[in-house]
Amino acid sequence: MLEHGGRLREASMTYGIPLADWLDLSTGLNPRGWPVPPLPAEDWQRLPEENDGLEEAARDYYGCASLLPVAGSQAAIQALPALRPACRVGILSPGYAEHALAWHRAGHGVIPLAPEGIDSALAELDVLLLIHPNNPTGHAFEPARLLAWHARLAARGGWLVVDEAYVDATPKLSLAASCPMPGLVVLRSLGKFFGLAGARVGFVLAEPALLEALRERLGPWAIAHPSRHVARLALQDADWQAATRERLMREAARLAGLLAARGLAPRGGCALFQWLRAPEAARIHEALARRGILARLFAEPASLRLGLPPDEADWIRLEQALKEITP
Amino acid sequence: MALTLLAAVLLDGLLGEPRRLHPLAGFGRMADGLEARLNKPGKTRRNELARDVADSRASPRLQESAGARSRLRGALAVSLLLVPPTTLAWWLSTLPVAGPLWGVLALYFALGHRSLHDHARPVAEALGRGDLAAARDHAAMLVSRDREAIEPAAATCESVLENGSDGVFGALFWFLVAGPAGAVLFRLANTLDAMWGYKTARFLHFGWAAARLDDLLGYLPARLTALTYAVLGHTRQALACWRAQAPAWKSPNAGPVMATGAGALGIRLGGPARYHGAWQDRPPLGTGRPAEGTDIGRALDLVSRGVILWLALALLGAAIIEGVLHA
Repeated sequence: MLEHGGRLREASMTYGIPLADWLDLSTGLNPRGWPVPPLPAEDWQRLPEENDGLEEAARDYYGCASLLPVAGSQAAIQALPALRPACRVGILSPGYAEHALAWHRAGHGVIPLAPEGIDSALAELDVLLLIHPNNPTGHAFEPARLLAWHARLAARGGWLVVDEAYVDATPKLSLAASCPMPGLVVLRSLGKFFGLAGARVGFVLAEPALLEALRERLGPWAIAHPSRHVARLALQDADWQAATRERLMREAARLAGLLAARGLAPRGGCALFQWLRAPEAARIHEALARRGILARLFAEPASLRLGLPPDEADWIRLEQALKEITP
Repeated sequence: MALTLLAAVLLDGLLGEPRRLHPLAGFGRMADGLEARLNKPGKTRRNELARDVADSRASPRLQESAGARSRLRGALAVSLLLVPPTTLAWWLSTLPVAGPLWGVLALYFALGHRSLHDHARPVAEALGRGDLAAARDHAAMLVSRDREAIEPAAATCESVLENGSDGVFGALFWFLVAGPAGAVLFRLANTLDAMWGYKTARFLHFGWAAARLDDLLGYLPARLTALTYAVLGHTRQALACWRAQAPAWKSPNAGPVMATGAGALGIRLGGPARYHGAWQDRPPLGTGRPAEGTDIGRALDLVSRGVILWLALALLGAAIIEGVLHA
């Protein structure tokens, strides 16, 4: 199993700081997620049914008629590679490692690529897989460029797979509205922008035939009844979405500014996290952890990812800690 | 010629780099001396020009013409340093009895196969006993990166693969094509590139000729080296990495060599590295897991098997030619 952010219990043991005292910035999830209401008991007691309005709400939100709800985009990440015979897959590096692992395990040849190397590599690839914006670098492309790459791949039966887990705050970057097209697969998640990571709800946007094959693999009742309920309400809450978009953009700029002011200018980022590269990343990570602030440390390249603090007191706490640990 | 090849490879394996009176040391001193004389702004208008070039407001045209003059002086220096020894090497090879012996000596001088092992082994041994600091120290002698930011296993594998082309197969190739003069020219041009081929203020223009000549002489050998690595390793994966990743690498010869070598070994190289305090984004190379200490031995082994393959092919070729001539 690969290591991920959000391992607060482990950090709590390592540094001897009670769970409740931590400021967890290790995940890149919206810390003020969609407010979940109390759920009716039947959500827990009855099997979920498909005509409950979730798909409809998702079609409206994503602007795409052909989609499949899955138990978090991780379910799709693991199932997608089985839908193609062994082929050559180009994956952005550095990037969220679960993709490369899943394609490698399914017997595909995985070729790591730099963003500027994609154009020249495309002729060699059957599948191009992008996390967009990229995690953890925050790198983003012009959607027109992505569509041009898709056209080249699709012309010879290839796929462009775009993991848009972090795109919700910047919908202009998304290819969701271009779906469905042959050879285009878009993955969406309710974990990040909506802050509903525990619900394990995501969507695959693609052609109906591909979705049917995916559904066959994932089986019935893929998503828990309460999760379906909460996801539908969150997707329908346009007011909350608009206000959240605005707030996240503001806070992302604030976080980038805060880091830059301490000589830790981020190399990249998006609405939900900032990414900074520093040879002393491990030292900064540990110094923050000693102060009860958990960042996400990457070894290769040596770098840190920091999510947004939930409220004003936490912002001040982060600023204070950064002041203490930087010259 | 094939027997000369065999004798030189054996001599190199037996003796390694000459410890005393290394001919390259004398050549390096001459090159330094010549650079000190020639690498400066034009003599007549030296002060005026230096001021203008240093002044950021100097017109682009003036800077351009100063750059062109500096490139010309660099080309002159390269010619002055390379033409005499190459001519001498050619003349010596035409001598009746001493000629073949000189051939062995010249190729021995141009070959750096044993020295590749001598420099890389200590890194692998240090990593094997878990001594990261010593591994970094040894690796720092192989690559020009910042010591504290070196990943010793990956950096050493990159160095072994790249020097397989510059120090081994390139010399063999030019010896086979142009005899002792070819091997000597290749080795000296490669040395000049290592001394002057940097994009620093001092060498940007002056080192231009040395760098281009090295690119030119290394073009074919680099591709034959890449092919050798591919044939002797995981072939399809190696060729895919070559085509997909090499175009993004900034050096036209090191790209194919290292991408293919990493693909052949099934390891990941490349990625960001720190030079003179500044991180440089380098594209990823190869595929699979990150390089480990034991991969240094595998890389050395790949080069050694390549040498055996080349020797076998050269002997086979010589036998065929002999057969045709006497048939």
